[in-house]
Amino acid sequence: MTNTTTPAIQNLARRLIALEAKRPPSDGLGGAVVRACDKLRMPLAKLAGVAGFRSLMARAKTLATSDVPWLDSVQVRADGSLEGFEVASSQQSALQGQEAGVAIVTNLLGLLVTFIGESLTQQFVRDAWSNESLGATDAGERS
Amino acid sequence: MSAVDTVSIRKLPTGVPGLDEILGGGLPEYSFNIIAGAPGGGKTTLAHQLVFANATPERPALYFTVLGEPAIKMLRYQQQFKFFDPAKLNNSIRFVNLSQLVLETDLNAVLEEIIKEVEAANPSIVVVDSFRTVVRKASVGTGDVELQGFVQRLALHLTSWQATTFLIGEYTEGEIRDNPVFTIADGLFWLYQQIERNSIVRKLQIMKLRGQASVPGMHMFRITADGVQAFPRNYGLTGRTAKAHDRPRVSCGVTALDAMLGGGIPQGDSFLVAGPSGTGKSVFASQFINEGLRRGESGIVAIFEERPEEYAGRVANLGMDFLTPQHDGKLSIIYLRPLDLSVDETMREILDTVARTGAKRVVIDSLAGFEMALAPSFRTDFRESLYRMIGALTRTGVTIVTTVEVTETFTELALSPYSISFLSDDIIRLRYVEIDGQLRKIMMVVKMRAGNHSKDIREYEITSEGLRIGERLTGYKGLITGIPEPLDSGAHHPAEIAGTPDRKEMG
Repeated sequence: MTNTTTPAIQNLARRLIALEAKRPPSDGLGGAVVRACDKLRMPLAKLAGVAGFRSLMARAKTLATSDVPWLDSVQVRADGSLEGFEVASSQQSALQGQEAGVAIVTNLLGLLVTFIGESLTQQFVRDAWSNESLGATDAGERS
Repeated sequence: MSAVDTVSIRKLPTGVPGLDEILGGGLPEYSFNIIAGAPGGGKTTLAHQLVFANATPERPALYFTVLGEPAIKMLRYQQQFKFFDPAKLNNSIRFVNLSQLVLETDLNAVLEEIIKEVEAANPSIVVVDSFRTVVRKASVGTGDVELQGFVQRLALHLTSWQATTFLIGEYTEGEIRDNPVFTIADGLFWLYQQIERNSIVRKLQIMKLRGQASVPGMHMFRITADGVQAFPRNYGLTGRTAKAHDRPRVSCGVTALDAMLGGGIPQGDSFLVAGPSGTGKSVFASQFINEGLRRGESGIVAIFEERPEEYAGRVANLGMDFLTPQHDGKLSIIYLRPLDLSVDETMREILDTVARTGAKRVVIDSLAGFEMALAPSFRTDFRESLYRMIGALTRTGVTIVTTVEVTETFTELALSPYSISFLSDDIIRLRYVEIDGQLRKIMMVVKMRAGNHSKDIREYEITSEGLRIGERLTGYKGLITGIPEPLDSGAHHPAEIAGTPDRKEMG
């Protein structure tokens, strides 16, 4: 976790991953993290282009790696999806795997809040999880 | 259906103040338009404003971005404008990035993707930003005929799907000829940034608009936190109405001057106060506003040379309270001193304030300060612009007092350096006169369109209570030259006429 994100963003990331963990296939936490990132990838790639989303994702992964060094083995594909997260996280404890996934999603959301603000970021999240009850999606501006 | 029935073209609101008037009522629905201009000209901001004004969840807007400003950054910057409503994003306004498609495929694939998105979303508005990029990429290895075919199919499809379309492009005027995009377009909006000396002035031109009469020529526009605001160049020229001769009179706040004017200023007149520095033009203008406030009439003062608080402080020294009426909404002091001001936006500001406050009296203090605040290019057209502005203001029924500084000469009686006396219904002239080793002040009513007025030349003073007008100054010839001579050796001594310390009572 970098110090440029807020606890509110982190909580939101944690909720999004938890939502994905509840839905099939039950492929563990690694799959839930990948699916959460994919859910954000679809609307954001449409907005920013595939290359634009890939840049954001790569930056988020790099920021997360500074706190979770083993994420170094995870790659961001050309389409912006994560490659190798499930394998890498399976070699860690469940808690470490979860925190690494939260770190990636938190940094991705944090970048969005930085660039387009909390309101639009929340809107993207709500649209991406349109059928889910997210509760409060307060992402909070970076300080 | 009768043979004379013609199709009615609905006009969409632009959401840009002033632009609907320039377009002749709004955007022709289902038209295929180009917004062109140099980088930084405001094209994207204008497109966003159009989109936010028209997009709904039922008929959303599709905004295709192509290799220009990254969409994330575009959202970052555009949300700084007040028209940007985050709640509309994705719901009513959908951004689609075509960059990769343009880079990796050909025109047909781009067209197919646009068609697919349009058919899925059923949009009312479609924007391609920047279309120039699409064309530039596509034109590599593509002939003019193919390019024209692409644009034609795009226009055909978007119109068939009942979308009003805007293609944004960084074009130069030299590209208009022989470019199929411009041939096919129904509307061509060109945005300019003109540089003259240190000033930059934004102007827009509707070079083409099928189906309705737009206002020709260059129209000034400004981009502020509210977005784009346009100022039609014909503002104030239309709807002129004749003034009745038997209008009520408005007291100017100086009883003796009201009498000289035949009972006050005819309501709705444009009243010019001309005189050199220090003769009390602003004092008179303040008394005019103060008298209105005393009678419960709202007023507006447009100033250019000092800030509102300084202005209110100065009139407080004359016993007039301008702070309370400002607080109560009865008085608006408009301080207009942005860089590169235009007459058109000044006019809009004053007219909007008149409409909002129901003001009956307006003061413009002064024309010299006003001219100084203008961008150099607007100073050239100052006289013509003033004509429009005064016309537009008097058409609302307000009575306007304008002050103008004239350079005093001792050979002639100049009324204004701007040759604008024709646009003033009434003129009073203040001037200095040398009498008996003293620099005194005289005033005269030079012109009143609506009726007779006093022909007297009266001495006056500026006191702590405002202007105090004395008796007619007799016994001299050449008073208006500023260097009068006694009529004959037996004439009254000046001190006896004007009387200070033994002057006649002033009132």
